[in-house]
Amino acid sequence: MNRVNKLLAGLTTVGSLVFGAASMAEPFKIGVCYDLSKAYTFATPQVAQAAQDLAKLVNMRGGIGGEPVEVIVRDHGNEPQRGIECYSKLSREGVFVFDTLSTPVSLAVLPRAMEDQRILMQSLVGRGDAVDGTVFDWVYPVGPTYWGQAANNIAYIKQVHGGDLSGVKVGFMYFDYPFGQEPIEILKTLSEKEGFELLLYPVPLPGSDQAGVWSKVRRDNPDHVIVWMLGGAHTVASKEMARNRIPMDKYISVNWLNEVDIANIGTETAKGIKRGTNVVGGQDVALYQEIMAELYDKGEGTGPIEKTQDVFYNTGLAMYSIMFEAARIAAEREGLPITAESYKAGLESLEGYDANGLMAPITVTAEDHGGGGKTRIEMWDGKAWVPQTDWISEYTDVVWDVVKDSSSKYQQ
Amino acid sequence: MFYRLSGVHHANYVSDSRIFKVPADRNLAAFMFLIGIAAPFIIPSLYLNSYMLPWLIWTSAALGLNLVTGWAGQLHLGYAAVMAVGAYSSIHAARFGVPWEFALLVGGLTSSVIGSLFAFAALRVKGLYLALTTLAMQFAMDWVLTHSPAISGGSHASLQSPTLALLGQEITTDTGFYYVAFGWCVLVTIFMLNLKRTGLGRALVAVREKDFAAAILGVNSFYYKILAFATSSFIAGVSGALLVATFFFLAAPEQFSVAVSIQVLAMVIVGGLGSIIGSYLGVALILLVPGIVNGFVVSLSDWLGMQINVETLAHIPNAVYGALIVIILLIEPLGLGKLYGNIRDYLMVWPFDQFKK
Repeated sequence: MNRVNKLLAGLTTVGSLVFGAASMAEPFKIGVCYDLSKAYTFATPQVAQAAQDLAKLVNMRGGIGGEPVEVIVRDHGNEPQRGIECYSKLSREGVFVFDTLSTPVSLAVLPRAMEDQRILMQSLVGRGDAVDGTVFDWVYPVGPTYWGQAANNIAYIKQVHGGDLSGVKVGFMYFDYPFGQEPIEILKTLSEKEGFELLLYPVPLPGSDQAGVWSKVRRDNPDHVIVWMLGGAHTVASKEMARNRIPMDKYISVNWLNEVDIANIGTETAKGIKRGTNVVGGQDVALYQEIMAELYDKGEGTGPIEKTQDVFYNTGLAMYSIMFEAARIAAEREGLPITAESYKAGLESLEGYDANGLMAPITVTAEDHGGGGKTRIEMWDGKAWVPQTDWISEYTDVVWDVVKDSSSKYQQ
Repeated sequence: MFYRLSGVHHANYVSDSRIFKVPADRNLAAFMFLIGIAAPFIIPSLYLNSYMLPWLIWTSAALGLNLVTGWAGQLHLGYAAVMAVGAYSSIHAARFGVPWEFALLVGGLTSSVIGSLFAFAALRVKGLYLALTTLAMQFAMDWVLTHSPAISGGSHASLQSPTLALLGQEITTDTGFYYVAFGWCVLVTIFMLNLKRTGLGRALVAVREKDFAAAILGVNSFYYKILAFATSSFIAGVSGALLVATFFFLAAPEQFSVAVSIQVLAMVIVGGLGSIIGSYLGVALILLVPGIVNGFVVSLSDWLGMQINVETLAHIPNAVYGALIVIILLIEPLGLGKLYGNIRDYLMVWPFDQFKK
């Protein structure tokens, strides 16, 4: 009997420890279900580090409305099934804002988030038509869609050619699967509209063999090559370009080109390479400087400082600045605790928000969950990224036609 | 003591051809069945929805692959592609207005036709050549899915599944989805249990052991191989359709990629070729253990208050999981099913056989 009593006493102690911890001030949580071990590792560590650093900074400054914030980072290995598991687990723990940074997982979680009325952030991944807020009420792909990004690239090329694209040859080189194929439709439409010649160069995954396709580029001799590839494929492309004597400044990459790629290509060789981006690259950014001063200089950074010197770290800062800013608006307007509804309203009240010069200003509305889709073209000058345009968002009517056409199919 | 037997001795053909030759096995199966029925009431919805449901559907799929790989001995590296055929054709049928019962059937039959059409070409070669041919089927299917918007739907080639409805009943709850998956898994399991004691099952085993020896015995090995491919493709098709209808709610090519094909094959091999309980265990290991180990490592590091980098934290479970597979296959190369069989055999007449040793 005595032993049973002891056991019971022990159990109650453990129980009170466990539940006692849970009853402390409930922080505002973001479920960060990322692929930290498989296909997306070229970007996820930097983005996750940015999220954690930013959360630390917000907490050091008193949190949001006096409450701390927490980012819960979990690995899903890019498997839809584990992404759903992560989502289900965290949403039962009361998390209502999620980010997956993986297209397959985002696609798999989306129907559940819509059903459960949880916020699914999916900047730069997932289905592009989710910017249509009238269909996808709970999904926020804040940032440019690939459609918008491609259209902005064409706008830049038009600017380079003095406003007339007739007779200009534009190549489009892409990974031959949905990520790379997405911009094709919009490029075709624009080619008809603006009169430039569009040349398509599909590259089979994983992009390690590009010998044939670049000799084709040499024969066709396009004026620009828009490139929808990522990771090591950029390095392979640069080697093939050198072999075929194609100047680097013809290369306009999708936003997935970072300092690691530049280092692999060679900082000198990469001179003239361009990328579309929605965030400011480099370390000359106010928010970045604040994080350095308040965290890394005091040895409290989340990870190695090298990882912060990467445009994907800035991308992460941008994504999470948006999420925290929306929470701040929600807390200000409707008070604590923040709910999914008040958070949604907070997101939709973001107007011209640029996180103190970190990114393209975004304005999210109930109709446009993408925030306007502004990007700019930056060029690598051997040391730093030099902006070539302002933040632009062109051909929005064409982009929205594609968006509407695609999103209308979701409900059928 | 555990099985209350002095050994398995058959006095007549009827007892020899029973599904469960040991009463305790039958009781265990019945007990598991009852637990399966009661699961929604005893298992928290998180585990029901994120572990049990995918586990059961993947087990049905793995059993189908086990039919062709474990029973008929044909290595199949394009199984996920066959599942994709079933999933996409069912969803298209359902979107077209076909009732789900028939849509699932359509999915199964389409997979069956395409799976065996491929087998026709593939079965002219054997062994590793066959494996490579089925792999080609996987890549052909991947290509078709990513290049034909008419099949794969709109943005990012994702196709929304209409609400599942069976017997005039719309199914929208976790419990409902679970019972659908459970029902299908039970059906497939019963089929596979019976396969062992039919002429078809014996013919498949004969083909597996030596196809030309089987031919000498009058077993048309080509016919039975095609039959095995067709049957397993049917199971794959319906499983794929149910996977989308009850779990993903949306079909995307990544859900049926080559990595998934290899995963299913790993489930069957780790579980044990030709073992039914092995398929259950193998799926649990390959599908669920990464998530479980991940959760365990995360809570362990939280509990110990360790500040581990999220990246390291993500890789530890992978290492543990990999080591687990290697250790299991080192201990018992015939897989988890055999491991279970060893324990069962050891306990069969325990403690009396201990005197012998």
